[in-house]
Amino acid sequence: MRLLADRVGHRYGTTEVLRDIGIAIGGGEIVCIVGPSGCGKSTLLRMLGGLEQASEGRVLLEGEPPAGSLNPITYIFQDFALLPWRTVEGNIRLVLEDHKLGATAMRAIVDDVLERTRLKDFRAALPRQLSGGMKQRVAIARALAVRPAVMLMDEPLSALDAQTRELLMDDLVELWTRERFSACYVTHNLAEAVRLGHRVHVLSRRPGRIRETVEIDMPLAERAERAAELEAMQRHIWLVMREEARAADRELADAG
Amino acid sequence: MALTRRQLGAGAAAGAAFGIVRNARAASEKVAIGILPLVSHAPTIIAAARGYFAAQGLDAKLVTFQAAEPMAVGIASGDIDFGVTAITGGLVSLADKGAVKIIGGSLAEKKGVDGQKVVASNAAYAKGLTDIAGLRGKSYAVTTAGSSFEYVAYKAAQKAGFPASDITYRPLQTIPACIAAVKTGQVDAWDMLPSIIAILLHDKAAHVIAAVQDFIPDYQVTTVFTSTRNIDKRAEVVKRFLAGFSRGIDDYDAALVAKTMAPKEVDAIVAEIHKYVFAGMPLAKARPHITNGVMHVNKGAALNVASVADQLAWLNANKLVPAGSTMKKLVDTSFVKTF
Amino acid sequence: MPDEASGPAPARAVAVREVPFRGGGFRPRTNSYVSWAVFAGLILLWEAGSRLGLISPIALPAPSQVLGALVDLARTGMLWKNLSVSLMRLGTGWVLGSILGIAVGLAIGLFTIARAALMQLTSALFAVPKIALLPLFIVWFGIGESSKIATILFGTFFPAVIATYSGVDNVDRNLIRMGQSFGLSWGSIVRKIILPGALPAILSGLRISSAIAIVLLVAAEMIGAQYGIGAYILQAGSLFAIDQLIAGVTILAVLGLLISWVIARAERRFLDWRS
Ligand SMILES: Nc1ncnc2c1ncn2[C@@H]1O[C@H](COP(=O)(O)OP(=O)(O)O)[C@@H](O)[C@H]1O
Ligand SMILES: [Mg+2]
Repeated sequence: MRLLADRVGHRYGTTEVLRDIGIAIGGGEIVCIVGPSGCGKSTLLRMLGGLEQASEGRVLLEGEPPAGSLNPITYIFQDFALLPWRTVEGNIRLVLEDHKLGATAMRAIVDDVLERTRLKDFRAALPRQLSGGMKQRVAIARALAVRPAVMLMDEPLSALDAQTRELLMDDLVELWTRERFSACYVTHNLAEAVRLGHRVHVLSRRPGRIRETVEIDMPLAERAERAAELEAMQRHIWLVMREEARAADRELADAG
Repeated sequence: MALTRRQLGAGAAAGAAFGIVRNARAASEKVAIGILPLVSHAPTIIAAARGYFAAQGLDAKLVTFQAAEPMAVGIASGDIDFGVTAITGGLVSLADKGAVKIIGGSLAEKKGVDGQKVVASNAAYAKGLTDIAGLRGKSYAVTTAGSSFEYVAYKAAQKAGFPASDITYRPLQTIPACIAAVKTGQVDAWDMLPSIIAILLHDKAAHVIAAVQDFIPDYQVTTVFTSTRNIDKRAEVVKRFLAGFSRGIDDYDAALVAKTMAPKEVDAIVAEIHKYVFAGMPLAKARPHITNGVMHVNKGAALNVASVADQLAWLNANKLVPAGSTMKKLVDTSFVKTF
Repeated sequence: MPDEASGPAPARAVAVREVPFRGGGFRPRTNSYVSWAVFAGLILLWEAGSRLGLISPIALPAPSQVLGALVDLARTGMLWKNLSVSLMRLGTGWVLGSILGIAVGLAIGLFTIARAALMQLTSALFAVPKIALLPLFIVWFGIGESSKIATILFGTFFPAVIATYSGVDNVDRNLIRMGQSFGLSWGSIVRKIILPGALPAILSGLRISSAIAIVLLVAAEMIGAQYGIGAYILQAGSLFAIDQLIAGVTILAVLGLLISWVIARAERRFLDWRS
C-alpha cells in the first residue's frame, strides 16, 4: 500500500501554507520531510493522515492495506499524546479496544509491542512516572500495536534531549530492521533526517514547496558507523535550506 | 456588654439631656424608627412627614424593613429606637433577654372597622371550607412557627371547638409565598390584613370565610416597642416619641378610618404614605390599595394588655418562647393608657 | 581531598563570607495540631467572654448553650428527624442537579447546536437568585418535597453545567486528535478521552455545587417545611433562639466539612494520575 500526495496545496484563510506538493510513501521506506519552522510540515502530515482536508489537490491511497492492519495510517505525535489516566498497558489497549479482538489476541499484541519496545517492566506505570524518552517509546509501541501500513511521525523526537534522541533513533532503526515499516517522518533536525530517511524532501519557507529531494542509499543499520559520509549529506541539505530558514526566521519575527 | 457603641451614645445623650432638658425642643434628639412598607405603619409616616416628631424635639429618621424580625433585632442592638410589629416569639425572646419592651399598642381589631380576614383557597372553598369549623383537618399557611398566623388559627379552632393541633401548619416564611400557596390551592386557608385580602379577592383567588374580630374581639395585632435601654436612660425621649406618634394616629384615623378629614388633606397624607407603601406603583394605582381595607389603630397608642397576655400565654403553652417569659418582662405599662 | 590550589576552598587573603540564603518563605504549610489548637482556643475564649458578660447574649450565645441546644436536639430525636429529611432533599437535589448538569454540560461541550442554544442561557440563568423565585417555585412545584428538591436541583445544575463544558473545552485537543487518528469510535472518544479529561473540572464543580446545595437548603426549607435543619434554623431565627440558630448552623458547617472530605477522597481516588 502506498500513500500519495497529488499536487496538494493548502491555505488558512488568506495565508497560503502549502503549494503543489507531490510525494509518495510506501514500500517499507522512510521518507523524511525537513523545512524551516512554519512552512507547513505538520499541516501536510495532518492531510496525509486524514485529519485535515487539503484545499487543493488530493491525498490518495494506492493498493489495499496489508491483511491484519488495524489502522493503516497511524500517527506518532511530538507530544506523545498519551492518556495520563491510563497506564502504559492501558494506553496501548485503548487503540485495540474498539476492534473486538478477544482477550487473548489483545494480550498477545500488547505483550509483543511491549517486548519490541523493551517496555515490559513498565506495563503498569502511569505516564507521569516516565521520562520523555520512555513516553515516546510507549507512543511507538501503541502505534506498532495497530500494525500500520504507514506511520506518520511529526517531530517525534523534538521534545527530547540530545542523548535520548540518539537512543531512540537507534531503537527506531532496530525496529525498522526487524520488521520494515513505511513512514513519513517530519523533522527540522537534519541529523535525524539523514540517519533515518531513505529519501529527504526539503521544503521551502511558507508557502511550502518541495525545494529539493535527496535520496540516501546507505542502509539504515550502517549509518551510525558511517557518520562522516552522512555529515556531508547533512551539510548539503543545510546549504539548500539555510536561505529559506533565514528568510522564514525573519518573516516570523516580523509577524510577531 | 458588647454593645458599647450604643451605650456610649446613650451616655452622651443622657448627659446632653441633663443640660438642656428645658431647651429640649430646640436641640433635637436623634431617633431612628423602624417601619414596614404596610399601611398599618402609616401613623409613623404621617407623624414624621407632618413634623409631629420634630415638634417634640425629635430628629426622626425612618428606616424601612422588609420583615418584623430584623426590626426587632435592630432595636435590641440599638440601631433602631422604636418599632411597630406583631407580638412574635422572636420579640418575646428578646424581651426575655432584657433587650426590648412593649410600650404601647397600635393596630387592633375593632367592631365596625375593617379588620383581618380568614380566607379559604378556591379549591378548599369548593370542597366546603366555608367557615372556621371547616378548618379542622385542613392546612393553614403561616410565615413561621410561633407567628401571629398560628395564633389566629389557634383562636379560630378554640372558637369552633376543636383542638388547634387538628390544623396542619405550613411555614412559608414570606407573605408572597403564602399568597402564592393560597392562589394555587397548595394550602387550604390563611389570614391576612384586609388590604392584601382585597387583592386576593379582586383576583378571585380566594374566599373570605371569617373576620378575625368575630373570634378574637379587640385583638391587639401590633404593638409599639423600644429597647429597655431607652426606657431606662431616655424615658423622656420615649414619652415624646409616643406624643408625636399619637398625633400621627389621630391624623391616620381622621384621614383613612373615620374619614372626617378634608379630601385635599387626605390626598396629601396618601401621597406621603405612598413614598413608603406601594412605592413601586404610580400614585393613582396605589391609592386604592392604601385607602381600602384600613384597620383601626388605638388612639393614644393605648394598649390592650389582656390581649397581649393571651398571646403570651399561647406562646408559653407552645414552648415558642424561653420558659418563664412574663408580662412584666414583656410590657412596660407606664407610658400609655391600658385596658 | 583536593589541595588548596585546585580545590573549592576559599583563598585566605580575601575576605570571605557565605552567600546569604534568601529562598525561604512563601510556602505556607498546614499543621492540623495548630489548626485544632486555634479552634479550641477560640471556643474557650468565646465561652469565657460569654461567662464574663463581655459578649452580649443577644450578640452570640455561649458555646455551652449551643452545645446544650445540640444535646436537646439529639435527646428528643429531632436531630435525626431534621437531618434525615434534609439529607434526603440535599442528596436528591444535588445528585439530580449534578447528573442533569453534567449531561447538559457534555452536550454543550460536544455539539454545536447545544452550545449555540444553551451556553448563553446557562450563564444568564446561573446568575438568577433562586431564592427570589420561591413564590414561583410554589406555583410550579407545590409546597411538598418537589419544590424543595427543585430549589437545590436548580442551584446545583448550573455550576455542574458550567464546570462540565469548560472541562470538556479544556481537554487536550491533541488527545482527541490522537483518538481520531487511531480510528476510535465517537463513543470511545467521549467515554475514554473527553470524560476522564474533563473529570478534574467536573469534580471541582461538584465541590462548589455541594456548598451551594447546603446554602440553598435553608432557602429550600423556607417552603412549607415542618422538619429539616434549614427549617430548624429558620424557626430559631424567627423565635430569636440564637443558641438553636448557631446549633443548626454548626450542623450545616459539619455537613459541609464531611461532603468536602468525601469529595477530596474521590479526587484522590479518581485523579491519582495527576502529578
Ligand atoms: N489551524 C490553523 N489555522 C490557521 N493557521 C494555521 C493553523 N495551523 C497552522 N497554521 C499556520 O500554518 C503555517 C504552517 O504551520 P505548520 O504546519 O504547523 O508548520 P510546521 O509544522 O512546518 O512548523 C504556520 O504559519 C501556522 O501558523
Ligand atoms: Mg510542526
